Amino acid sequence: MPILSIKDLRARYSASGPEILKGISFDVEHDDFFAIIGPSGAGKSTLIRCINRLVEPSSGQVILYDTDILLLGSRKLRRVRRGIGMIFQEFNLVDRMSVMDNVLSGRLGYVSNMTALFRLFSKADIGRALTILDRVGLSDQIDKRADELSGGQRQRVGIARALMQDPKLLLVDEPTSSLDPKISREVMGLIKEIATEFGVPVLCNIHDVQLAMEFCNKIIGLQDGVKMFDGPTSTMNKERLDEIYAMEVL
Amino acid sequence: MTSATATADMVERIVAKRSKARITRSLIYFVLLALAAWCIKTTIIDDTDWERIGTLGAVLKSIGRFVDVDWGLAPNLWKPALETVMVATLGTLLGVITCVPAIWFGALNITPYAPVTYPIARLMMTLSRSIHEIVWALFFVAAVGLGALAGVLAIAVRSIGFIAKMSAEAIEDLDPKPVEAIRAVGGSEFQVFLYAIIPQVLPTVVGVIIFEWEINIRRSSVLGLVGAGGLGLVFFRQLNTFNHPGVTTVILAVLLLVLFGEIVSYYVRKAII
Amino acid sequence: MATGTAIKPDRGPPASPPREWRRFKYPQSLYRWLGLLLALTFLSYSVVYLGIPLDRFINMFGRAGTLITDRYYPPDIEYVMDRDYLASVFDTIQMAYLGALFGILIALPLGWFGSHNMTPSLRFVYPVARFLTMGARAVHETIWAILFVTILGFGMMAGVLALTFFCTGFAGKLFAEEIEAIDVGPVEAIRATGASELSVMIFGVLPQVRVAFTGIAIYTWDVAFRAATVIGFFGAGGMGWYLKRNVLQIETTRVSAILLSIVAIVLVSEAVSAWARARVAKAK
Repeated sequence: MPILSIKDLRARYSASGPEILKGISFDVEHDDFFAIIGPSGAGKSTLIRCINRLVEPSSGQVILYDTDILLLGSRKLRRVRRGIGMIFQEFNLVDRMSVMDNVLSGRLGYVSNMTALFRLFSKADIGRALTILDRVGLSDQIDKRADELSGGQRQRVGIARALMQDPKLLLVDEPTSSLDPKISREVMGLIKEIATEFGVPVLCNIHDVQLAMEFCNKIIGLQDGVKMFDGPTSTMNKERLDEIYAMEVL
Repeated sequence: MTSATATADMVERIVAKRSKARITRSLIYFVLLALAAWCIKTTIIDDTDWERIGTLGAVLKSIGRFVDVDWGLAPNLWKPALETVMVATLGTLLGVITCVPAIWFGALNITPYAPVTYPIARLMMTLSRSIHEIVWALFFVAAVGLGALAGVLAIAVRSIGFIAKMSAEAIEDLDPKPVEAIRAVGGSEFQVFLYAIIPQVLPTVVGVIIFEWEINIRRSSVLGLVGAGGLGLVFFRQLNTFNHPGVTTVILAVLLLVLFGEIVSYYVRKAII
Repeated sequence: MATGTAIKPDRGPPASPPREWRRFKYPQSLYRWLGLLLALTFLSYSVVYLGIPLDRFINMFGRAGTLITDRYYPPDIEYVMDRDYLASVFDTIQMAYLGALFGILIALPLGWFGSHNMTPSLRFVYPVARFLTMGARAVHETIWAILFVTILGFGMMAGVLALTFFCTGFAGKLFAEEIEAIDVGPVEAIRATGASELSVMIFGVLPQVRVAFTGIAIYTWDVAFRAATVIGFFGAGGMGWYLKRNVLQIETTRVSAILLSIVAIVLVSEAVSAWARARVAKAK
């Protein structure tokens, strides 16, 4: 039984604008680490954001654990979102807050407004945050401001924040675009380890095909809003790659 | 067309454009100056009672009366100075509280119903800034009577405009990325406000509030003139009793107070940013 | 910049949390609480000390409402349409124009000398210029007005001088700040060509600050005009004089009419300056 089922997903940014996603369908199993590849403008970012409805699709179904997310009202949507961890290309941290506070903000979907207002996170949450920060190797940066860290460290804070949510699914949007090659590899490695360790499926946008082939077990190739490839990494080859990236050559 | 004539053509065109710009600018300056000359004639030259002023010597003597400092007055100025600062502080605080709706309505990205609420906010801001604090003070004296309350209210209302405008602009310049992240985590709109919007906007807002507080000290120092207490009242009294050195003393006190405000403002803003 | 500790491939269940974590560390937390306590004490003390009648504050809204409808309404529009009054409005505009103009003209060199990077002498000229600017700014425009009226008698000369001093301080600080914010690169470049200091100013500094200076000039006009409407209250010429007269005589309907006219004319002036600012922004 797939954890996540996308059926005929379509999206456009304005009623009269062009269609960005033109009917995407695929399934995600509980142990998948999916790479979504394709040229820029193919709709990778839009696809990822449609899954937790940061972008509203125009039609289709996004079925997570037997519930079609697209039909939910805002309160239930928040419930769903707190179970989906998201890691962003530009880290999306709150720069002026400390590392600890940024990580704790991963629990916001689980706590009341009062707790959020006075930052009265429970001891259990703080303990959990410390453990996770230890796991991603940031134990000695806990009280530093987010904007005092390097890019790689910031991404690890983003990963820690996603982990705090106790996620059932990880959405990762170009985790390595803002990082240099060596750090990129470390970050991808960390995400993969954690996903395996906690048993969480991952959907990862990535433009570096090498990294995709190295860390992911399945690949979706998008071109111009259309799915051109959907299958295990082992079945990806040069011809198929060229097909997906055909537009980029021009 | 040979390249020589093409270049010569271009040069001609450029020279023509530049001299046109120069002529326009000279014209503007000339108009400004002519206007000034005319104004000088009608306001100063015609209107002034030159006889009463007398000679330059008489004027200098007049100024000379202020050059002395009445040191005996100095100890009595602590209390009014404290009152001035208090009125300024309370007024700023009240202004901050009152301008929250103006900020909410006045930022295009969070205003609830733009066609109606945004103009209301801008109107509030403009009214607050356009009306001089003395006018506001007169208004409030009529509404609540003489005393510090009128001064506090006048300062509060006067401050709304600037604080709301700057804060609304800070909100409009928000970085959407942390907002996206907190939404993705499943946070409610309130939590998004607390964790993504406030941390970004707070330094600017606090800086603006401190800046306005410093200006309000200056304003508060004159509201005594319309009955609101503080150094302004002392100033008026000294003037009425023709104690000109006393007037100078009060002005020095005001200068020191404003300097104090500027120093506090500088250090607090440095600590916040 | 450290890249952090190495990433540990922790396969087993996580160990117990490394240590305690508290949000507020001593002594910062102590300072915070003390500061907050101090601020609150000061504020409540102020309210008591100043004798602010909180009950009157609460009742204010109702009272102000009835007050306005009883005595200030309807505003005596006829009064403000009077020839003499309109002449005083015109005077006000003229005074504001002169005050702003002279103030800006004096503030230009004053701001230059008072700027940290461009002042000819940091030791002597800079502090003097900054002191003069600050002094002119610290004194409220109404105090300037009263001072000049005392020295020169009633009339617009006192008003124009008061506005001039006020605008000098106002614009001088803004000009200095703007000059201090320029990019030093072009200035260095022009200097390197061997140009005179004047040329350095014209070619290196002026182009960078021209737009901002125009904006500051317009802003100065705004505040000058706003001040000009009230300095007449203290005898310095302009429509404020009528305000004082009618307040003293408790001619409340006339007062409301005058206040309305002040508001109206300031709004018009602000609209004009907003237009001017937009034109400048578009042209440059």
